[in-house]
Amino acid sequence: MKIKYLLVGVVMVIIGIVLAATVFPSEEKRVKKRFYLLSEWVSKSPEESALIMLQKMKDIGTLFLEPCELRSPNEFLSGSYTRQEISAYAGTARSHFSQLNLKLYDLHVDFPEKEVAKVNLTARLIGRSKTGERVDEIRELDCLLKKMDRKWFFSQIEVIEVLKK
Amino acid sequence: MLLKRVVAREGEQVEFRAGRLYVNGKEIEEPYVRFPCNWSLPTRGVEKDCVYVVGDNRSMPIEGHHFGQTSKSRIIGAPLW
Repeated sequence: MKIKYLLVGVVMVIIGIVLAATVFPSEEKRVKKRFYLLSEWVSKSPEESALIMLQKMKDIGTLFLEPCELRSPNEFLSGSYTRQEISAYAGTARSHFSQLNLKLYDLHVDFPEKEVAKVNLTARLIGRSKTGERVDEIRELDCLLKKMDRKWFFSQIEVIEVLKK
Repeated sequence: MLLKRVVAREGEQVEFRAGRLYVNGKEIEEPYVRFPCNWSLPTRGVEKDCVYVVGDNRSMPIEGHHFGQTSKSRIIGAPLW
């Protein structure tokens, strides 16, 4: 009888831990969730309607702090951008493609200070342009996110130059 | 992950002339390169704690090939054969 109560107790503790982890995700999971949203909203299926395209454009901007800084080896891309600019540029870029898939790999999350997250990752953009050209670009990124009103926002994205010709 | 061949080490000078690789001004024999190329790249020095890597498949234009100098700390392994 005692073993039965003990087993029920253990099962309840396990359920409690799983529920707590689901309802109150760790900060690392919250940060990673922002990347998964970015990946989802940048990606595009060939059947995407104009309404969904507009919604995604708007949604992408909400992930960024204002202004957000982009650092890139291509200097013409580097600079500070507002949410509106990010949404507009993302929309323009997406419109050139019939299909896009942003995949993110090896996300390493650090918290160098309170309410600041530094994330290193590999991003792969696979797609097909409207003229039928295949795109397959891989970049290493260093991202800085800041927490405001209990949400994480991208405040800096740096494209790492892995190979310097 | 990238699989590349280390062709020069820190302090060495690298360049391509008409598709041939030169390290410290000396032409390097590269029997592993199957497809000839016509790449040209002015001389550049490999910085401290870095290596210069190039892939063996050089059939594409130089702009389309991922190669160059990278930190030694990025090397995570070597091929077994």
